[in-house]
Amino acid sequence: MSRPPRIWISNETPAPGEIVRIRAQVVHPMETGFRFGPDGQPLPENIVTRFQAMLDGELLMEWQPETAVSQNPYIEFTFAALRGGLLRMVWTDDSGDIAEAEQEIVLAG
Amino acid sequence: MTSFAEIDRRKLLLTGTALGAGLASGLWPGLGSAQQPESSAAPQPDDAEADRIAAEFLGGATPAAQGLVLDLPALGDNPAAVPVRVHLTDPLTDTVFCEELIVLAQRNPRPLACRFRFTPLTGSVDVAMRLRLMESMGLRALARMSDGRFLEARGEITVAAGGCGM
Repeated sequence: MSRPPRIWISNETPAPGEIVRIRAQVVHPMETGFRFGPDGQPLPENIVTRFQAMLDGELLMEWQPETAVSQNPYIEFTFAALRGGLLRMVWTDDSGDIAEAEQEIVLAG
Repeated sequence: MTSFAEIDRRKLLLTGTALGAGLASGLWPGLGSAQQPESSAAPQPDDAEADRIAAEFLGGATPAAQGLVLDLPALGDNPAAVPVRVHLTDPLTDTVFCEELIVLAQRNPRPLACRFRFTPLTGSVDVAMRLRLMESMGLRALARMSDGRFLEARGEITVAAGGCGM
């Protein structure tokens, strides 16, 4: 996950209670462990195993992808903007590699 | 003068043809014998493994068929990235929210596609992702609500070819 995640957010300044939609994608090979390398040995499994979205340190949602999730995993989710804060998203893969993205959410009015 | 060049060209063509024939019959060492499977991904023979995971998730409860929607395209033209969307139709409250959600691709080598966990802070459940599918199969989404209810949505999808070994 050498490249920064790509983030799209429907509204950074939502009205209280508004449903905010997030689209996020990270570059990752999502190696399933089913494939063989040129030497005939199976390529070791390396997938993104956890994605967490936190608002001011409190968990909004957690996603645990398995091998069925595509390369460069794309995730779209929503949450109700009950309060503002720092939205932080963290991806973790099998090798312990981490990708992070942050976005400040400010309630309008 | 020109006839020598002509002969050389013919020789070259003949050698090329012989090489091609050798390759086709598998005599060429290294290339012809380097056949190996590209992937060990094998589809599930039936839905038994998916049913087992679903039963483990449900813990004996019977899921309701309403309230959860699974959106799939009519045809998965790229089996390595099939867009799948799961959302709840009923609005959530502070006390009734979705705790956990799983998506099952019933004939995949590993049927459990992914798992979601939500909190009361989420306030809305509408998720989308892209899945690799092994073959045309049924998909299931199961949700566990905080009040003990279980919701289920099913869908069928036709895909062009296997995407798990990619």
